Amino acid sequence: MLSAGGGQEVRCMEKEKLESLLIDYLDNILSKEAKEKVDGMLAENEEARKLLQELNVIIGALDNSQPLQPSASMQRRFEESLANEVVLERKSKQIFRIPSMYRVAATVGLILVSVGIAYWINKHRQQADELSQMKTEMEATKKMLMAMLDNMQSASQRVQGATIAYTIGKADDEIVNALAKALNEDKNTNVRLAALEALAKFYQEENVRQLLIKSLSIQNDEVVQIALIQVLVQMKEKGIVKELEKITRDTEVLKAVKDEAFTGILKLS
Amino acid sequence: MTDESLMEAVKHGNLQQVSVLFERHHKAIFNFLAKMAMDRELAEDLTQNVFLRLIKYRNSYQEGKRFQSWLYQVARNVFSDHYQLNKKMYSKGMDVEKLKDTLADTNEFHDQTEREVLLHQSLALLAHEDRELLVLTRFEQMKYEDVAAVMETTVANIKVKVHRAIGRLRQHYFELEKTN
Repeated sequence: MLSAGGGQEVRCMEKEKLESLLIDYLDNILSKEAKEKVDGMLAENEEARKLLQELNVIIGALDNSQPLQPSASMQRRFEESLANEVVLERKSKQIFRIPSMYRVAATVGLILVSVGIAYWINKHRQQADELSQMKTEMEATKKMLMAMLDNMQSASQRVQGATIAYTIGKADDEIVNALAKALNEDKNTNVRLAALEALAKFYQEENVRQLLIKSLSIQNDEVVQIALIQVLVQMKEKGIVKELEKITRDTEVLKAVKDEAFTGILKLS
Repeated sequence: MTDESLMEAVKHGNLQQVSVLFERHHKAIFNFLAKMAMDRELAEDLTQNVFLRLIKYRNSYQEGKRFQSWLYQVARNVFSDHYQLNKKMYSKGMDVEKLKDTLADTNEFHDQTEREVLLHQSLALLAHEDRELLVLTRFEQMKYEDVAAVMETTVANIKVKVHRAIGRLRQHYFELEKTN
């Protein structure tokens, strides 16, 4: 059907079928035999050649079209929305937990009345279980926040990690060191600020105080420098006066940072 | 980690993993929606909605199913909802002259060839289904098998429809070329 015969055969062939065949031809998915038949038909038929030429233009334009680039702010906006979703999710879980807490309390009350002494025996066992459960939960939270602080792909996740660190009651050395690393080295200012906020909560720990004081001499983000000075001044950390004086003399330091250092010296002296 | 295992983690409550899925797929989804809506600013909002909907309906993700197919199904639904709400706007037809303002960013458009401008004008004249098939198979370079999975139909059916869509695009393109 595709062999010789020229225009008459093309007319006989539904144009749609011909067009479909030529698209496969251009997409290079025909068998060798079918391709040779199309080549033969094209050599003899001008109408088919014209159709092929038009299809070639269309397919070429489609395949060579440049992808569009989304704006730089799109990813940031998404990360913000995602952070909101995560917070909402956590709140909704807390709401669901309250009724079950009441249920547990009511059950415990009933057991108290009805079982009496047996309850006290159980209570000791239960306390041990709860302690172990709490320990497991704390370990899981720690693991999660460490993984978040370490996620180099997402700044919002690192901020989230620092925020979780802020909410925990006690920070061990591993968490403190991860926060200090974020405070001094993270490429994102918001992550550094969140890490500072979390560390400031544990300022009564001597090692945390020392880390914050040390950070003042190596901190290279101006926004964080200002926040750090404020935190150390609030802690009434007189040991930083020399470092603040050094900052006021440094010609490369921003005026806003110098102003904060002057204010700090005044408040501490 | 594969897309599928990340999505399974999201389904089990680890919502932060959506961030990685966004990183991997947002450009493709943005391009799909930009070429469907013919408006890049709107496409950015819709892309955001796709990934937020992915969280909202995470329980409907069937474990073991290919993530890409499911993601595009969500993207199609997001566009379809937008289209239903704004039918009036679309019923007037795309103003091909305005495409320069809505689809192209300043620098990108200057680099476009006349041929590409004509192509986008012709695409705007196609029915949504035709445009969608061409965007998925030609711009996004998805295989017919993958598009068939997204649209829950057969490969043969997709192929016939894509070829017809190319035929209609060809007609619009050369008619526009004559009038320009």
